[in-house]
Amino acid sequence: MSAATQAVGKVERLLTVQDLLHREARLLDDRRFDEWVDMFTEDATYSLPIVVSDDPREPSLIRDTKAGMEERVFRLTKTLAHAQNPPSRTQHDVTNIEVRDTADGLLEVLCNQTVHELRNGDVFHVGLAKPRTFAARCRYLIAPGEPWRIREKTCLLIDREYPIYNLTFIF
Amino acid sequence: MRGITAMTLQSPGFGGAGVLDHNVSDLVVEEPGRFRVHSDVYVRPDIFALEMSRIFETSWVFVAHESMVPNPGDYCTGAIGRQPVIISRDDHGEVHVLFNRCAHRGSVVCRDERGHAATFRCPYHGWMYRNDGTLIGAAQRSGYPKDFDTWGLRLGAVPNVETYRGLIFANIAPDCEPLSERLGGVRRYVDAWCDRAPDGEVTVPIGAHRYDYPGNWKLQMENGVDGYHGNYVHESYANILERSGERKAADISRARNRVGAKNYAKGLPHGDGLLERADGMLGTYDTKSNPEYRQQIADAYGDERMEEVLTQRNIFIFPNLYLFESHIRVIRPVEVDKTYVDVYPTTLVGASDEFNRDRLTEHQRFFGPASFGQPDDIEIFVCAQTGVNVGATPWMELSRGLAREEVNEYGESVGHSTDENPQRSIYREWRKRMLNEAVKA
Repeated sequence: MSAATQAVGKVERLLTVQDLLHREARLLDDRRFDEWVDMFTEDATYSLPIVVSDDPREPSLIRDTKAGMEERVFRLTKTLAHAQNPPSRTQHDVTNIEVRDTADGLLEVLCNQTVHELRNGDVFHVGLAKPRTFAARCRYLIAPGEPWRIREKTCLLIDREYPIYNLTFIF
Repeated sequence: MRGITAMTLQSPGFGGAGVLDHNVSDLVVEEPGRFRVHSDVYVRPDIFALEMSRIFETSWVFVAHESMVPNPGDYCTGAIGRQPVIISRDDHGEVHVLFNRCAHRGSVVCRDERGHAATFRCPYHGWMYRNDGTLIGAAQRSGYPKDFDTWGLRLGAVPNVETYRGLIFANIAPDCEPLSERLGGVRRYVDAWCDRAPDGEVTVPIGAHRYDYPGNWKLQMENGVDGYHGNYVHESYANILERSGERKAADISRARNRVGAKNYAKGLPHGDGLLERADGMLGTYDTKSNPEYRQQIADAYGDERMEEVLTQRNIFIFPNLYLFESHIRVIRPVEVDKTYVDVYPTTLVGASDEFNRDRLTEHQRFFGPASFGQPDDIEIFVCAQTGVNVGATPWMELSRGLAREEVNEYGESVGHSTDENPQRSIYREWRKRMLNEAVKA
């Protein structure tokens, strides 16, 4: 394979990954949460760690299995969750995408994500109608296939170990 | 009744300005059958300033857990009221609570929240202190007179530091009662909470769930022992448990309302309080039903004590500490309408790794800024912070169960688990401290 062909392959792979990440962002921002969950494999995990550590005693902001993700979506869409009433309006921006092969045939994707968030409501009320920004360095494991699915999504928030008011939307 | 003038707002009156004292005494009103608190307590910066000086800076307050500074040289930082401190374990293993302020020109000497250091070096002019607070040396010493060493310069030390079962408390007031006296009646509940660990010891990890909410600190203080809000604020969580097949939402609601069950809200002396449910907190992980763990507790403490130990409680120790089944919660007032809450999930030493992992998993389902329970409480605090600005109808009603309030042999005011006994105890103590009565007595 010529260097040029290899380069084209890499570009195609990058574009496919980028499409997938953009699709995820769009589904979350359009509140199409069921379709978002469908983007993940059955054994997927979705995590927002606090401390980067394998110590099982360490808490995380989020450590969801796929069942946990479904529960999270259920809470957002089917229950009166006060912290999401009114709900968050979000805008996920995805940048700095890098793609690498892993030994077991998955793709490791590193990217940065910025989520702009706002909850509608009376601007005079504490906590409402104020834009907030969340930034994270993210790692995905993606299983190529038909379609490509997410096996792992891990987001390291820049302020993960510091006080946060309301992180009840999906990052 | 409001009676607060612009003039008083401009003069916070530390140490006892008469006008403010008069107003403070009107903010908590107890009448036969009725108990009310004025909304000014959530919105007035002068009242907040007075709370810092008369409550936080003159009471035993929780500053850290011993497992946060396990080894000589370990430190963590924090605050007592508004005053930054370092909790430091010196080279001999002794714990000090040092004011985080250089004796020279006032800069903090330690800016990390947690770490390990033999010395603290001021970033401004390089003055250096040992981890017990003693001054090692000032840079370019020749500019000071010969008797410089006798000036007693050092990192100020909080005069009273005591540890009870791993909980480190400190009190800035030079003359205060010993911690054991202050804890008094709440101590047996602290014991039961610690004894939930088969080895009698809990530890906390490095990470914590932390909140920053735009509301007054007392909203969190009142809420942790409030057994009345669950059906309404945590409806979402009940729906989640119903969906997963763990519990029926209607059963949870019924259990909360049942009169005559072993479920109590208690107001204790010193402003402490607890919510107590022998059958568990209706949704959070039921440690009682794990047979292996039950056996460990029975072996460690005997069958008789086991029920006492396994009774689930939210324990409040005035003014800033909660002990929940799964965690230690610390209330950190920042401004009158800004509060941090730190939630440290505990590990029960002696219980299996699997058991502690399951506890943490279930904890994270309800507690933490991205969880399915606690953010809904925080949201209500924020809702209240807007509402309490209404000066035309300013009263908070904390009268629930006042008519059925009973005082038991321990001096505890005991009510149904949805009653507001703990909140009344909190505000009786709050009023006493704000009027300086506890100090005078």
